[in-house]
Amino acid sequence: MAETGRLTKVATPAPAIAPVTLLRVAIILALLAIWEFLSHSGWLYRDVVPSLLAIGRAVVELLTHGEYYFNLGVTAAEVGFALLIGGGGGVIVGIVLGANRFLAKAYEPYLYYLGPTPKIIFFPIMIMYFGVGPESKVALGTLSCFFPVALSVTAGMRSIDSILIRVGKSFRANSWQMVTKIYLPAMRHPIINGVRLGLGVALIGVLLAETKLSNKGIGFLIIQAYSIFDMPRMYAMLIVLFVLSIGANALVGRLGGLHTIRRI
Amino acid sequence: MSAQAQKRASFADYAPAATGVGTVLAFFLIMELLVQTGMVNRFIVPPPSEIIGSFGRVIVEEHVFSRFLQTLIECLTAGVMLTVFGVAGGVVMNRYKLLQQACETWVAAMASAPIVLMYPLFLVIFGRSAWTIIMMGFLAALPPVILKTIEGISGTRKVLVNVGRSFNLTPSQQFWKILFPAALPNIFVGIRLGLIFALINIVGVEFLINYGGLGQLINDLAERYDLAGTYAAICFVILVSVLFFMVLEKIERWLRPVD
Amino acid sequence: MSDTPNNAILKADHINVRFETAEGPVIAVDDVSFDVRPGEFLSVIGPSGCGKSTLFNVIGGLLGSYQGTVNVAGETINGPHQSIGMVFQEESTFPWRTVTDNVAFPLELTGMGKAQRIEKAKHFIGMVGLKGFENRYPGELSGGMRQRVSLARTLASEPKILLMDEPFAALDEQTRLLLGDKVLQIQQELKQTTLLITHNITEAVQMSDRILVMTYRPGKVKRIVDIDLPRPRTSEIVGSEAFGRYVAQIWADLREEASRGMREQEKHVMDEAPQG
Repeated sequence: MAETGRLTKVATPAPAIAPVTLLRVAIILALLAIWEFLSHSGWLYRDVVPSLLAIGRAVVELLTHGEYYFNLGVTAAEVGFALLIGGGGGVIVGIVLGANRFLAKAYEPYLYYLGPTPKIIFFPIMIMYFGVGPESKVALGTLSCFFPVALSVTAGMRSIDSILIRVGKSFRANSWQMVTKIYLPAMRHPIINGVRLGLGVALIGVLLAETKLSNKGIGFLIIQAYSIFDMPRMYAMLIVLFVLSIGANALVGRLGGLHTIRRI
Repeated sequence: MSAQAQKRASFADYAPAATGVGTVLAFFLIMELLVQTGMVNRFIVPPPSEIIGSFGRVIVEEHVFSRFLQTLIECLTAGVMLTVFGVAGGVVMNRYKLLQQACETWVAAMASAPIVLMYPLFLVIFGRSAWTIIMMGFLAALPPVILKTIEGISGTRKVLVNVGRSFNLTPSQQFWKILFPAALPNIFVGIRLGLIFALINIVGVEFLINYGGLGQLINDLAERYDLAGTYAAICFVILVSVLFFMVLEKIERWLRPVD
Repeated sequence: MSDTPNNAILKADHINVRFETAEGPVIAVDDVSFDVRPGEFLSVIGPSGCGKSTLFNVIGGLLGSYQGTVNVAGETINGPHQSIGMVFQEESTFPWRTVTDNVAFPLELTGMGKAQRIEKAKHFIGMVGLKGFENRYPGELSGGMRQRVSLARTLASEPKILLMDEPFAALDEQTRLLLGDKVLQIQQELKQTTLLITHNITEAVQMSDRILVMTYRPGKVKRIVDIDLPRPRTSEIVGSEAFGRYVAQIWADLREEASRGMREQEKHVMDEAPQG
């Protein structure tokens, strides 16, 4: 009894709100206040900084109209296909390069140095190949996400503990079983990480291509809002887009975090 | 005997690289054949020989050098801003732990958002000018610089911090003599990543808003339907970015203190 | 005691292994021949660098280039053989699979149905004493428990010969003794033919019917010692007088080899020194 009493005395009572939360709320409120002040000050060109109310109204407007969801679906499908083709190709190329030292020496430098080059500049070519429809956006997204996935799977293959490969061989696993039951599960972290990077660049590739030339998709809506100078709508779309993409990224990361197990 | 062994070793060293180069050459050769025999439409894919032929024309007629300079200046301006604001941001966030706890996840989240999609907004604010492009390159590349700076400073080995304490260093001495030098390698990595992101976004925005240096060149040639020229310009931009990337790597390795 | 080759379930015949290194070829295994009889527990013991792990890889079929032949139940092996089940020295459980799924792994490879293989895996999990841990991941287990998972996984493939390479090397002494008991108990229960590679004399004497002592580089067969201790055995036998005599006898053999190994390594270091 005395022990418990002493313990409670030592422990500092937890504040109702953590200081971090308090600071976060304060920062957000300050930013919003500055924003609102700027929008009413008239110092900036009309509508560059619309009032919070106007932005809020635009967000509601956006989310209550079916048109937005249709375009969101188009963009999501384009990104999905890009990830499927580019990411799938990246995984295959990564496994081959990671398993074969010779091929890795021959081709990995190209992947490594071509990876961080701007991909949007290929868009004119993609239009010539695939037309102005969603296909050219998928192609650009595919090209964008192939590199990070391939590079991270190559590195992942090399980091597989060789003992696990020997176990598989000792049980006479065939090549298909080696890939599906040893390589892929052993590389789940690098693969998920690659897919996360790939998702990010595929999204950017698809959206930028849509802003350049298209008649549907989120990128198209953004550039449309720009052309009619509907700033609140543009802010609303950027906010929703950022929330969605940050959420998708966190979701993929969470999936990869399952059964994270320490290894001695 | 040993000379022979050496010779064999050097051949084995070059074989993979030769295979890589050989594959690229074979690819161009096959494309050339396919286009020349009409199996691939030459109005979609110009023959590689024609692309190589138009290199000179593009370089001279399209003022590639001045465009390259323009893109480079935009990039370096963004780079200076990145270094100043990114490193300072990281240092400040590391100095005030509460601020770091509050904001680090926000910065990390921004790193995964398609920031470059804000370019129409910047177009409204800055107009079709170099500043739209520079600001886009700067903002899109800012998160990694901040994050790497924080990672570098907070990753300083505990024993080094204790060495500083044992000499009774003041907080500012502790920062300038211990923490900052220890964080430099990571900060360099952050700046290098930032410059690469900046280049990617700057060329991209140039292309998208049809203004400025190398990105606009590609847009221009594509709109004029100068097929071979477009391909040549794309090759040129890829070459420039690869060189930029290599030079940054070299500089980083050269600046990085041995540890 | 009949020593006819016909009786042997595993027969290694004139095994030679050479490695090319920067300083020229090294003979790792030099003309090693031996038999393993059905139900027998044979240990191969030798100092570090005697090529016993190389021998393990040859018999397991994981090493491609060697001279000589290995026969298992009358078949010459050419790659991993289904009659041989290997337990490795290193931590080798799959961290992404539960204990049950780890143990069921070899059954899954043969295409056995899910219900059946889980049933069978449970049996072997119980045998190594991990009942109640079926749904844990290896990361949640201790090193000794993980090594038991590896053992159960290999047993689940029902090999004719259990081939183990220092399976207890990474464990502390107490765990090693207790795990040795477990292995002995299972081996006696299943009448499991076992080939154990080890450098631990106590472990070898405690478990084996015969011990094959190898020389330091090049690895040759120095002597084969019959261990005539009563069965069933447990780790308690470690205290007996007969046990002590066997240990002393084998140590006398090994000591010579181990010190020769040490001398050669020291000489090697001395030769290298001026350049370094």
